[in-house]
Amino acid sequence: MIPQDVFVAQREPEWRELDLLLGQDKELYSHDGATISRIATLYRALCGDLVRVQSARYSPDLAGYLNGIAGRTHSALYGARPIRAFGFTGLVLREFPAALRKNWRFFLLATLLFVVPWIIGQAGTMASPSFAKHVLPASQLEGMAQAYSKGFDEGRMSGVDASMAGFYVYNNVGIAFRCFATGILFGLGSVFFLIYNGLTIGTVTGWVWNAGHGGNILTFMCGHAPFELTAILISGAAGLRMGYALVATEGRTRIGSLRASAREIGAMIVGAALMLIIAAGIEGFWSPSSLPPQVKWGASVVFTLGVSGFLLFAGRSRKLA
Amino acid sequence: MKVSQTFQEPIDTSAEVETPEHVRFHHHLAGPARRALAYLIDLFVRLLIVLVLAIVANIAGVAAGTELTGLSNGILAVVFFGLEWGYYVVCETLWSGRSPGKRVLHLRVITDTGRPLHYLDSILRNLLRAADLLPNAYALGLLVMGRDRRFRRLGDMVAGTMVVVEDRQYFGEALRIHPAPTPRELSSLPQRIPLSGDELDALELYLRRVPTLHPARAEELAEIVAPVFARRLGVRFRGDARRFLEVLFFRARERTAG
Repeated sequence: MIPQDVFVAQREPEWRELDLLLGQDKELYSHDGATISRIATLYRALCGDLVRVQSARYSPDLAGYLNGIAGRTHSALYGARPIRAFGFTGLVLREFPAALRKNWRFFLLATLLFVVPWIIGQAGTMASPSFAKHVLPASQLEGMAQAYSKGFDEGRMSGVDASMAGFYVYNNVGIAFRCFATGILFGLGSVFFLIYNGLTIGTVTGWVWNAGHGGNILTFMCGHAPFELTAILISGAAGLRMGYALVATEGRTRIGSLRASAREIGAMIVGAALMLIIAAGIEGFWSPSSLPPQVKWGASVVFTLGVSGFLLFAGRSRKLA
Repeated sequence: MKVSQTFQEPIDTSAEVETPEHVRFHHHLAGPARRALAYLIDLFVRLLIVLVLAIVANIAGVAAGTELTGLSNGILAVVFFGLEWGYYVVCETLWSGRSPGKRVLHLRVITDTGRPLHYLDSILRNLLRAADLLPNAYALGLLVMGRDRRFRRLGDMVAGTMVVVEDRQYFGEALRIHPAPTPRELSSLPQRIPLSGDELDALELYLRRVPTLHPARAEELAEIVAPVFARRLGVRFRGDARRFLEVLFFRARERTAG
């Protein structure tokens, strides 16, 4: 066995060289080819040295030093993975609808948790206006009735459209993300957000309806609803799926069970996020436009068919079709 | 590549990774304090971006009237959204697991198995922040981290990631016995030193640590061990215990190094 100091004297120049190459804190691909292959060579030699240091029981600070360089080089060498557009489109166009169909039970449950409170909220408000005031503050309800009183025959100023589209992205996608993320609390957060949002929207619709502007609010909603409401339901379903993975572990550890379902959960939430961004665009620019209601409802039918067709049929295996 | 999670693994803030080269090394795990600090830096960066954009938007709004104000408000809202939900995903994907705050503190997000972060992992772990930050100031996330041996918050558990420290470490100087042992000192010791390999290792470790110890502490430690070894060797030493250990080690190595 070589004494530690002799070993260090032999090998140290290469370690220092590797440390220096890494120390520039550049991503690996920004080095030239010769440097990259030099790093790889030095890394392999260093791995050998690390094994040697561990088995020869040299001092821990030396092992720690080599360990640190090995870790940093490993991250640099194996860290260079470019984002491929193809992988992402595959995720959205194939994996997302497939994952949703596989988890249709959760989607159904999310739908019920959203639609039933909606109906309760709307029916309750239409039956007795005092019901609404238990759900939302009166000032907010009045504001809503006011906002939909005029309809959109004259459209809005385009600056307002852009500002509202931005607000919808911030607010609505945020709601959907929170509805998903809190599903980690054994699904309870998703359940809460689905019921809460269903009840709120139902109550508002009922209130505006009572004020006599029911046609206006429904015509406003019909354009973006196929994207927005579906996406919120998908987020909720992904959250419920996550909570379910924690409960029904099928013999795995809870974290293992979570990991096993992570890919499809991820595909669902990415898909939902994109749908919400599309929805925000429609809600900001199309829904409040001055187009006649017939056109908006026609478009709504087209959107609905498009969304359901995509979710039902995209990403199916060709062999089965 | 796999990470062994057996109970033989020492209780330590490290995670073992086996590389494709079949070398095992340990990543040093990042604790809550360091990660909180990185979070604050990132928060500051984001606030700065918002502040600059808001000032620009305001100036533009005053200059160009309401039409542009609406548009710039819309853009600002989208930027808010991007900073709240997308900032970490973009940074971690582009810089393989590092945000500006993590860069400053030498942190990196990697997968459980030591591989680089995939963008889907990053999306999951950062969306789950909405759960980790409940009910306030990441309290739930901290609680979960404290219960986990790899300091993972909920987002890390769903995404299968961990945060490691990539600090640069240093090792001590070569071991030098100064001044070199005199023939007289050496002659007081037997030719063959009856110490086991473990004992010699411990002795070497001690001598390597001496420069980092306070002289009084180094002396104190030596005084515990030196009499034990002296009795075993059947010699008597007078005075400097540390010096005795140095000469002892020199003699032992002299023989093994050949």
